Amino acid sequence: MKSSKINVRDFSLFIAIVLVWVFFSWQIPDFVSARNLSMLSIELSTTAVASLGMLLIILLGHIDLSVGSAIGLTGGIASVLIFQHQWSAPAAMLVALLVGITLYTLMGFIIAKERIPAFIITLGGLLIFKGVFWKVIGNQTIPVKAGENANLLSILTTYYLPAWAGYALVALIIVALVIARIRSRAKRRGYGFEVESGELVFSKLFVTSQALILAVIVLGRFRGVPLSLTVLGAVAFIIWVITNHTRFGRYLYAIGGNEEAAVISGVPVMAVTIGAFIIAGITATITGFMQTAYSGASTTTTGELMELDAIASCVIGGTALAGGRGTVAGVLAGAFLIDSLMNGMTLMAVSPEMKFVTRGLVLTLAVWMDVRLSRRAS
Amino acid sequence: MPSNPILETRLLTKRFPGVTALSDVTFDLRSGEVHGLCGENGAGKSTLIKTLSGIHPHGSYEGGIFVDGAEAHLRSIADAQAAGIAVIYQELALVNNLTVAENIFLGNEPTRLGLIDWDKVYTDAANLLKRFKLNIDPAARVGDLGTGLQQLVEIVKALTKKSRILILDEPTAALTEAEVEVLLQIIRGLRADGISAIYISHKLDEIFAITDRITVLLDGKSIVTLDTEQTNSGEVIRHMVGRPIEDLFPRRRSKPGETLLSVKNLTVANGEGHTILHDISFEVRAGEVFGIGGLMGSGRSETLMHIFGAWGDRLGGEVLLAGNSTRNQTPRSAINNGLVMVTEDRKRYGLNLDKSIGFNLSLSSLGEISHGFIDQNAEVTRNREMFGSLRVKAPSLETTVGTLSGGNQQKVVIGKALLTNPDVVFLDEPTRGIDVGAKLEVYEFINRLTAEGKAVVLVSSELPELMGMSDRILMLAEGHVGGLFTREEATQERLLAAAIKFHKDPLTV
Repeated sequence: MKSSKINVRDFSLFIAIVLVWVFFSWQIPDFVSARNLSMLSIELSTTAVASLGMLLIILLGHIDLSVGSAIGLTGGIASVLIFQHQWSAPAAMLVALLVGITLYTLMGFIIAKERIPAFIITLGGLLIFKGVFWKVIGNQTIPVKAGENANLLSILTTYYLPAWAGYALVALIIVALVIARIRSRAKRRGYGFEVESGELVFSKLFVTSQALILAVIVLGRFRGVPLSLTVLGAVAFIIWVITNHTRFGRYLYAIGGNEEAAVISGVPVMAVTIGAFIIAGITATITGFMQTAYSGASTTTTGELMELDAIASCVIGGTALAGGRGTVAGVLAGAFLIDSLMNGMTLMAVSPEMKFVTRGLVLTLAVWMDVRLSRRAS
Repeated sequence: MPSNPILETRLLTKRFPGVTALSDVTFDLRSGEVHGLCGENGAGKSTLIKTLSGIHPHGSYEGGIFVDGAEAHLRSIADAQAAGIAVIYQELALVNNLTVAENIFLGNEPTRLGLIDWDKVYTDAANLLKRFKLNIDPAARVGDLGTGLQQLVEIVKALTKKSRILILDEPTAALTEAEVEVLLQIIRGLRADGISAIYISHKLDEIFAITDRITVLLDGKSIVTLDTEQTNSGEVIRHMVGRPIEDLFPRRRSKPGETLLSVKNLTVANGEGHTILHDISFEVRAGEVFGIGGLMGSGRSETLMHIFGAWGDRLGGEVLLAGNSTRNQTPRSAINNGLVMVTEDRKRYGLNLDKSIGFNLSLSSLGEISHGFIDQNAEVTRNREMFGSLRVKAPSLETTVGTLSGGNQQKVVIGKALLTNPDVVFLDEPTRGIDVGAKLEVYEFINRLTAEGKAVVLVSSELPELMGMSDRILMLAEGHVGGLFTREEATQERLLAAAIKFHKDPLTV
């Protein structure tokens, strides 16, 4: 059986991204400059990594309001240990990671065991982490490196892959994508499932490959593929494997879709919930490192409101807030749209007030569409 | 027999994208008549009701609906209510936190000087309840009543809206036998008041007890309308399924083997600390169907749920599964120990309605097909095998479960349970709300399980089913053992007597 159906939700997101890009490139030619796109890709890396952690939480039907503060706190701990206590960057980052994991494990435990809404627990987390964060950095600006020498933390957003590595990487990704696509198509056909028409698969792959190659070429005209983008790639791949190919991932969808049925089906709800929070703690910490490195220092506003961008990326990408539905690809596209908007508005010198309003409108519109489309489906 | 049709459909056809749900349905309801509507799931009963109640508005169908001989254009539920049509759904539309009286007059409150006249609300409600001989306190919180009494409150509520035509959609699905009797009496009383009713039920004995005529739907067509007095259940079933059914309960006995589950002096409290199950003991053997019956609230489901590890705090007693004690059971450990449960409410506890058949089927048994990563080939192979042997009517494993009929959904829940390769299978009301054909398939499944040497514990509120399928029957009464019967000993009278052993007055509980 062949199907040429195109998902309305996916398609409207694609159109929205194209419109945003056409608009900004027309208004400000600098938007598509190699330098700006390089910055945009680093911004995308931070938002998207945080959003991928958020995806796991939202799939369960929970929410994480604390991620912005956790990003600030973990980045802050690493900077303080490096700058004020002269720790080596890897050791400092390890400590920050342990703190991030511990805090998220604790939140996950309380939410799963005591059945307190995640909204409340993570709202508490937002305030507590922020307070602790400010205490840790003493309300100062703490650079990510002591002296002039780059370290593991600072290079996260300042290191660029050499040109050959960038091309090799993108070639590898494209080959992997094509092989994966062909194999999964053959498998699905073997199972007797519906498969997308060959033309559609080809054009999707073609557009993706073109975009990837174009991105590497453009990024190469500035300094090359940023390290942070490869971090994002790795995180996205791991989360994709988790959600699509593991029991844990399947359970996330089962719990979010119908928790009572999941319990009766023998799904260990508590362990899965805590597990999701642990992974979200790891992604929050990685985002904390990248976000802090990107600003060059930890300041009181690092990570602020990133929880909202992360939630917005998920919802725009088709993740149901009620849980049970959402994909890695959707979240990546959602984050891409949000960051394109934010970056473009900054270039256009849009006032902070209007930026807030725009972000709010985009989020509201996405949720509204989500509700409308879900209703039609059922 | 009054003869003027008060409600009529002529050549009613309703199409959805890709499927014709109703095709030239012709049906008439006479004044003061109770008219039974029979048909398997998917035969078009729900669509017909939705059309008559304005949910599918005028203009979305072909043909006509006539009320009192004049064509009615029902564009909304409000239109239908204005025409005197009220629908009482399977799923209750009551507010649990309001009182009985508040619910009865919800949206219809008598007012004085713009304020709600609470005295009138309560006295009127009390009078209404008295008129139907219902021993319900109008000031009781609806959530505190049993499902059966809630259903009766819902009917009383519909009657306050000056409804002339009541549509009852499986009104007894959640009722005990005694409550059913009360309901049937109420409906008989309504008939005397000139109120007509369309009565939809899978339970043919009720249809025969209450209706004047019966219309059978099959594949969206009105097949036949019969006078109840001049037909019998065999004929109705033949029309419903389009084929004769010789035996409704095709139980094939297998030789009982070793004891797989043994429950000794089980005493269990609910979350609020009230003791619900008292000193319950029984044993279930391999190859046996062990039936558990009792009235609503007798603790049937609770017994299963507790043994399965999904409900209650154990105060005393012991459960041995294949000889091993199970103290801190969770559904997960139960499944690992070879016990699996198909719950009563499949939409709430059984399925992920937005997900595919395959997703649902393999959910309980992912452990057997994943070694770090899920083995997709193994998953599809196993699912496909189960999908085929269950004969689920669906295009593919990727079909969304929510789009299936009740019977097919139930098959998916059963398939999910069987994929865990259990020794003991708990089935709580496995045939509730599913059609005759699907019921037979479920019974065949039970036969197959016992033939394979598995033990089946069957909870059912339908005595014929319980007697037809079980090898032994345990009756519970108010959380106590009311009696244990072999298949030969069991008669309706004996079972009922055991079920009300501890009841003072079955209707007020």
